[in-house]
Amino acid sequence: MSRPPEVAPSTPSLSLHAEWKSDRRVRTRRIAILGNPNAGKSTLFNRLTGLRQKVGNYPGVTVEKKTGVCDLPSGVPAELIDLPGSYSLQPASPDERIVRDILLGLQPDTPPPDLIIFVVDATHLERHLNLALQITELGRPVVLALNMMDSARAAELDIDVESLQRGLGVPVVPISAARGEGLGSLRRIMEREVEPSTLHFREWPPFLQRVLDRLAARLPRHAAYPDRARRDIAFALLLDDGEDDTLVRAAPPELLDDAAAEARNLDKTHPGWRHQDVAVRFETIREILSRALLTPGDHHHRGRDTLDRILTHRVFGPAIFLILMGAVFQSVFAWALPLMDLIDVGVGAAGRLIEASIPPGALRSLLVDGVIAGVGTTITFVPQIAILFFFLSMLEDTGYMARAAFIMDRLMGHIGLSGRSFIPLLSSFACAIPGIMATRTIDNRRDRITTMIVAPFMSCSARLPVYALLIGAFIPNRWIGFLTLPGLTLISMYSLGIAAAIVVAFVLKRTVLAGPTPLYIMELPPYRVPSWRSVLQTVYERSWLFVRNAGTVILAITILLWFFASYPKNGPEVRALSAERAEAVTNGSTAQIELLDRRISASALEHSTAGKVGRFLEPVIAPLGFDWRIGIALVTSFAAREVMVSTMATMFNLSDAREDVVPLRTSLREAIDPETGRRAYSTLTGISLMVFFVLACQCMSTVAVVRRETNSWRWPIFMLVLMNVMAWLASFAIYQGGRWLGFGT
Amino acid sequence: MSQPLTEESGTRPLHRLSPGEGGLILTINAAPPIVRRLMELGLVPGTRVEMIRCAPLGDPMEVAIQGVHLSLRRSEASLIHVTPT
Repeated sequence: MSRPPEVAPSTPSLSLHAEWKSDRRVRTRRIAILGNPNAGKSTLFNRLTGLRQKVGNYPGVTVEKKTGVCDLPSGVPAELIDLPGSYSLQPASPDERIVRDILLGLQPDTPPPDLIIFVVDATHLERHLNLALQITELGRPVVLALNMMDSARAAELDIDVESLQRGLGVPVVPISAARGEGLGSLRRIMEREVEPSTLHFREWPPFLQRVLDRLAARLPRHAAYPDRARRDIAFALLLDDGEDDTLVRAAPPELLDDAAAEARNLDKTHPGWRHQDVAVRFETIREILSRALLTPGDHHHRGRDTLDRILTHRVFGPAIFLILMGAVFQSVFAWALPLMDLIDVGVGAAGRLIEASIPPGALRSLLVDGVIAGVGTTITFVPQIAILFFFLSMLEDTGYMARAAFIMDRLMGHIGLSGRSFIPLLSSFACAIPGIMATRTIDNRRDRITTMIVAPFMSCSARLPVYALLIGAFIPNRWIGFLTLPGLTLISMYSLGIAAAIVVAFVLKRTVLAGPTPLYIMELPPYRVPSWRSVLQTVYERSWLFVRNAGTVILAITILLWFFASYPKNGPEVRALSAERAEAVTNGSTAQIELLDRRISASALEHSTAGKVGRFLEPVIAPLGFDWRIGIALVTSFAAREVMVSTMATMFNLSDAREDVVPLRTSLREAIDPETGRRAYSTLTGISLMVFFVLACQCMSTVAVVRRETNSWRWPIFMLVLMNVMAWLASFAIYQGGRWLGFGT
Repeated sequence: MSQPLTEESGTRPLHRLSPGEGGLILTINAAPPIVRRLMELGLVPGTRVEMIRCAPLGDPMEVAIQGVHLSLRRSEASLIHVTPT
């Protein structure tokens, strides 16, 4: 087939990477690691790169891009890319779409690799070779890494590596990534120029090839496209299943119409054409394996049967699951506390160090209350993230995570989610930040975003001090049956959050995030002993990623909030109080000075931008029973919910309320509305405010982490608006409804 | 591949198998993209599939195929027709 003259790419996503082909000699080798989920891909990637990894996102999608550097035996570094686990080159998820786009040379920021290390689980060759074969058909250089050889040996599986090599036409290296076996040979091959397999050209049946060629000829032309890839693109257009696909979007619309017409025609003339190639491929695999598998091996891992009988047992299964989850949850909750306290102490010390070395003023205030506070907020989350991810990657690597999803699937299915959403939501009771980060195990994009958006409804540990303060101030300590009224209130707040999450998830999955029901098929991998290296690497990677990406946003917002709470400075009211204080220094008591100091802080906050916003908000929040003082606390608590307590303390001229909230409770109860002279807050106000805290998104760190995980501002802003509107409506209903019923006077 | 089959021919949808029972996959009655996907996951007609167990709440179910254990919802399993062996 003669090739028309090269023309410039007509669409950006079909642009080609001719420029790197030419400088192949000088630049570093790009090597991709690819394989089915559960093949041990990431373990191998971690082994080869160590801590020299970089995690980012592919532009415009939620898919994570992991790259790293690996030294080859000659000392030359190679660039490694860990591609998302996939089952097929006909993608069913954004992850798989990225893999296909990269391999076909359609991904603008990521050129096709010079070499593909295809990782397979040696104990599940038949299944894993399906994608391996599709890759070799692309005519790109492939090395097959026969992973988990230790398990294969244990299962008495005898694999003839030579025969497998001959059957596939690519080099095969037996390894065990978890144990570090065979990596030397793999590194040596990574340095070689590997020739693409010549055995498995993709062969299309003639009737299909004619159609594909017709469509391929009309695709925008590019020099470096092998003709075979053009047919693959045409096939993808032909199979277009209505899912949002980059390839389909990039194609000219009239070409798509024709492809749809051709597909309808093929359905009539050759039913089964859509999946004929899959059946043929498995046929080929069986043929190759009939020679390469010397013993059939023992597919039934005896240990697995016994373990599964217990772990997914009708009664013991859920019981063990609940105990395990309780332990994980308790650890995140309890183990993180001392570490968080330690960080608090460290942040305090850093603040004092700066206070000692810099004279009082705007710079010192910015450093202490802006920069150090922001950095402090960021690292306070690290213990929780690290501990949660320690357990999560243990559960994932042992294979238990899939069982947990198996057990919980039915329950979560009722609200349109799957079993995979359960653990992220449970983790969110400790803190939504690690919870949202844990949604990465959910394959379906819509399910993942839904889970992220409802996760902050779970009452996190930062809400507890707020509940404690308000319950202490407004809820009488009376017994109702076997519970106290305060206890009952606390349970109600937690339940309200859960109920809100259920309703919102249910509604989102039917409206904004509605879509065709995905297949919830999931592998239940064999149980394995986790590799400590891999677990600790995940912990490190997740913690660092949070600090680097979400931390930047948190720091910026903290500085902004600091500015709002500090400026404008020295208004007439503050100046008057300062003059009074100067007088008190000469002839007043220490108590008088301290009181004036607190009044200065309160007045400064009241007349700052935050104070003005609080006042400005008053008409909006007055129907909820909140006055401007609460308004200010709502603004400042965006830094972190518990800041509400210290802001209220400042507003009521109290010293730091962290040690002792009793005086603050009294102040809240007895607060007077200066205009009416009556009590400012009733029990109804307290309940309304608590409900507001249950539902409102008042946590910049949550916003920052959703932005990082979805790689866009769209979903965090959606979440922010949705939650705050819901909070307002609920508090409005409670306060106004309560008043109408005669409470709260 | 996706002609409906009558019960009297001895075929049963996969979700009607009891734990321990197995059979050869005969057809998958679903939209083309789903058929293709299930096949890519190893559920190829002619392959033996074994029902292992149901989840504690009755759904999903665990099946074994090509030595791989899969969890699939009953609604998904009902698309797959097998000839019990």
